[in-house]
Amino acid sequence: MIAIYLCAAIAVYAALRIITERNTMRKLPFLNVISFAVTAIIALLIPHPLTILAAAAFFVGSTFESNAIASTWSGGMKRNG
Amino acid sequence: MLDEPARILIAAALCWINFVAIDVFFRLPESGGVCGATAIAEEVEKGGGNLHGGFMLGNIVSSPDASAGTLLASCGVYCAGLPGGLFAALLVYIGNRICYDPGYAGTTGAITATFLVYGMTQIGFAASDFIAGMVIAILTIQGISHARSSRLIGRLWEIKVRLLGGGQ
Repeated sequence: MIAIYLCAAIAVYAALRIITERNTMRKLPFLNVISFAVTAIIALLIPHPLTILAAAAFFVGSTFESNAIASTWSGGMKRNG
Repeated sequence: MLDEPARILIAAALCWINFVAIDVFFRLPESGGVCGATAIAEEVEKGGGNLHGGFMLGNIVSSPDASAGTLLASCGVYCAGLPGGLFAALLVYIGNRICYDPGYAGTTGAITATFLVYGMTQIGFAASDFIAGMVIAILTIQGISHARSSRLIGRLWEIKVRLLGGGQ
């Protein structure tokens, strides 16, 4: 039971770090910590074989979003020439 | 049998070693996989960090790497035992391809983590310890001090290059 509260506490901590960090690119690793914590909470809350699909879909989706935000913010296609 | 907090801390250490070793071995700190990862690395360097460590931080953000593999494999073993962990490895492989990542760090990390977590569940650990442990492990790299964690990874990358080659 401690595991789930620990994950929730880490997610809240990372959210506070995102609010206090001013640099947009440096916010993204904290967002990554939230994705990890939420994926863990999904799996811990619903111990069912299909949960792994939901957790992976959430995680890959959020990673893809971070990838898109980082690439767009850094100049996207223009940066690569 | 150990208490849950002690098991979570041991699991966190094992997860940390599993994902950092595989990511460094698969050359994540060498360069940014996508331009977003390179931009994150440059910002981390501006903030007093190491560029190669920053590349690894950026690559972890931009694509499911061995850390994601370890987490999803732990979730898989927790929800459905050994087959669940291997199914998670397949999902990480698909995730890598979706995120334009040509590497195999995530898939390899998921497979090694599946056997690690399954083995540890046989000697008194719970898969949930590894799920929480992986969240602590990623917190130490991505969530406390980017400058310090990137310098640590930069040092590990230098050791890897010196011992096994593979850097510029």
